[in-house]
Amino acid sequence: MAGIIDELRELEDSIIRCMKCGTCQAVCPLYRKDLVEPSVARGKIALIESVYEGRLEKAGDILKHLEYCVLCGRCRQNCPSDVKTDEIFLKARAVLKKIKKMPGWQKGLLGFVMDHPEQVTKLLPFIHVCLRIGSRRVGDDVLRPLMPLMSERNVVSVKKEPFVRKYKGLNYAENERMRVLYYPGCSVNYVYTNWGKAVVETLKYFGVSVYVPEVVRCCGIPAATMGDIELYRKMVNLNFDYFAAIGTDYVITSCPTCEYGLKEMGGRETKRESPFRIVDILVFLDEVLKIDFTMPFDKKISLHLPCHYDCTHSDLPGRFLQRHFSSNYIPLENTDCCGFGGTFSLKYYRNSKEIALAKAVELRDKRIDTLFIACPGCAMHLTDAVVSAGCETGVLNPIEVLYEGIRKGSGHSSLHC
Amino acid sequence: MLRKSTVGKFREILGGNNCWDSPEDVICYSYDAAYEEPVPPDIVVKPGNYDQIGKIIGLCAEENIPLVIRGAGTNLSGGTVPLSGGCVLLTTGLNRIIEFNTEDLYAVVQAGVITAELALEAEKHGLFYPPDPASMKVSTIGGNVAENAGGLRGLKYGVTKDYLMGVRFYDVEGNLVIGGGKTVKQATGFNLPGLMVSSEGLLGVMVEFILRVIPKPESSKSLMVVYSDIIRACETVAEIIASRIFPATLEILDNFTIKAVREAVKTEFPTDADALLLIEIDGHPEVVNEEFDRILKICNSFNGVVRVANSESERDKVWEARRMALSSLSRLRPTVILEDATVPRSKVPAMMKAIQEISAKHDITIGTFGHAGDGNLHPTIITDKRDRDEMGRVKKGIDEIFHAALKLDGTLTGEHGIGFLKAGYLEGELGAGTINFMKKLKQGVDSKNILNPHKMNL
Repeated sequence: MAGIIDELRELEDSIIRCMKCGTCQAVCPLYRKDLVEPSVARGKIALIESVYEGRLEKAGDILKHLEYCVLCGRCRQNCPSDVKTDEIFLKARAVLKKIKKMPGWQKGLLGFVMDHPEQVTKLLPFIHVCLRIGSRRVGDDVLRPLMPLMSERNVVSVKKEPFVRKYKGLNYAENERMRVLYYPGCSVNYVYTNWGKAVVETLKYFGVSVYVPEVVRCCGIPAATMGDIELYRKMVNLNFDYFAAIGTDYVITSCPTCEYGLKEMGGRETKRESPFRIVDILVFLDEVLKIDFTMPFDKKISLHLPCHYDCTHSDLPGRFLQRHFSSNYIPLENTDCCGFGGTFSLKYYRNSKEIALAKAVELRDKRIDTLFIACPGCAMHLTDAVVSAGCETGVLNPIEVLYEGIRKGSGHSSLHC
Repeated sequence: MLRKSTVGKFREILGGNNCWDSPEDVICYSYDAAYEEPVPPDIVVKPGNYDQIGKIIGLCAEENIPLVIRGAGTNLSGGTVPLSGGCVLLTTGLNRIIEFNTEDLYAVVQAGVITAELALEAEKHGLFYPPDPASMKVSTIGGNVAENAGGLRGLKYGVTKDYLMGVRFYDVEGNLVIGGGKTVKQATGFNLPGLMVSSEGLLGVMVEFILRVIPKPESSKSLMVVYSDIIRACETVAEIIASRIFPATLEILDNFTIKAVREAVKTEFPTDADALLLIEIDGHPEVVNEEFDRILKICNSFNGVVRVANSESERDKVWEARRMALSSLSRLRPTVILEDATVPRSKVPAMMKAIQEISAKHDITIGTFGHAGDGNLHPTIITDKRDRDEMGRVKKGIDEIFHAALKLDGTLTGEHGIGFLKAGYLEGELGAGTINFMKKLKQGVDSKNILNPHKMNL
């Protein structure tokens, strides 16, 4: 126990910066819903502090409050005193997991899934069929499971075949002018396989050959949020080793959480410098390839910005839509997190969904045809909410529409280097 | 510690979900935004209606449980810290704007409504709710009234008390008390809204307010003035007001604060400046232009170099820098102590000098910024609460800041309230007779001292 307290005390220098001003209340999606202090960063900071200052005996009891956090990072971005809340919470979770251990089966399963991606792939047809049989179709590619515990959820279907089965290896571009590696992450590999296809085909169209890994190893973020920071570091290292072995200048992603886990947080936690640049597909198209491509998309569209989207490019997705699609773009008033938070939504589904529903209601009221989201997690979660709110909005990644435009030849473009 | 049966009674009133008594929950209500040692309550409740509030008060009175009312907990004087435990009652669940009347220009709001939300609602109707405490994005109206919150617009527009027309609260016996109303003029009975403003939760549990809103000014203009001597900047402030000009805001930043802001937001601030004045005037366009010219002349006569914010984005930059003052200072050291000693505005130069001397004498770091136009400076001490020796010097410095303010006919607190951090200084400002009167008043309405005990030394 003394060891745990000492480890938490290592956070003191970061924590003491918090002046308890309460500014985080204004931006925390959970506080704004619950209106109680344990939900918000200031409360969680006070809890960690009270453990190492000896005012709270049962350290393990604070874990439930630390885990009740979407990790959207808004408190950190808006903190006047620059308190690195997300880092503090992840570290504290990892420390406290030593007292409140993950159930054995959970730890085993997590380790197995991360260590054996090829076995997961083998299970896909089985999962796919189970989901099909045990569900009711509620939309294009969206199912509602019949199992009692799952029956409130609208799930985007898990595909029979992983994305990489068809695209593994080098996908040559005619007029090749560059080669990159595409890291699809688990969600694109198993669920949003069409995003992966759109990324590869679009890059090829613009003269970029794309190397796709045969086996996709998890970025490790689920392990980190569940408090297994060692397993997370291991995954980052494995992926870094792999990228380095392939020898690419660019690692393209289409999942901002994978990007965050590998780039910003990965670099910090493994103290490794990467010889390659990890970059989101939209940023790559606009800033590296500088594509000049516009196409008609005659719809009322809007945008959801994922929390983990590269914070130095947070205005890029909005610009991307306006630059490449001629359509009716209506920004949303609700700029909150979707409430997904990966493992958060598994544990606190109802809270998570409540946040998403608020957004879905605005989409319904404004009669938005298409909501663009450049993150598979947000897309799954908001698809669920949109169906529940009974609204007609379709959820798409900009890259899907761009690829459609290229395929049908409906856009016009000129290439620049 | 509360008896199990007592906790059970609370649960009976609130249901299972809005009542917490385990250590890892109550510890989240052991602090506010000041720097004192935390003290947790025994139980925290979040009522959703007035009926529950009446019952909670009844239970606390019956079982002698201290009752502390808390909104967002952004207060800066220890006012919501439950010094002797007991029950913390959250008003955050009562957050409805009940009525917004655009004909008679008032709003009826519940205690937990967030200040910025009321301001936004007013704006939607082309109206204006001026009090703008720095914490307005999270602070509640209940807290604003309980502390008489101010902000940047005090000089021209006044503070929370100037907008409070009516209040509804529960006394310690659970009776509903109604003070004031919806009319501009009202002379019925005691001026209860006046009594409840800055009562810091000692006299009753406030649940509802009637607040005045006003027409929105038609136009505004912002300027930044650079000084090589802060005393000249203070003299400019005194002269502007002596010339009968009332800017909407008139803010000052000292050299130390300027440097901190520049470092934190990487803005193009002139760091060699000893002080900056940030001025905004608003009103009818012609009046704004005329006042603007007169202010220019005054600034020039005190050797101030004027930079006008011509575009909207320049203007935003100026005020963003001001808003970043406190947080930029807070990034420098672990502990921030924000004081708000206030003096009559003609004494601002003297107060500024006193602060500089105190800082040098005790070797403590003080960045000063604040509402120069209403005499409400924010000497901000940055330190490390773990350093006992330094904290001793800080304590002496704070003592002297208060004494300096009182000597200049000022007050201990312009907008943060007394709580318990300033309770020891209260008699120095008000005298024994006043303390005695306040004690009797408190005993009269709350003989068992249930409501926020020990605050203001009562």
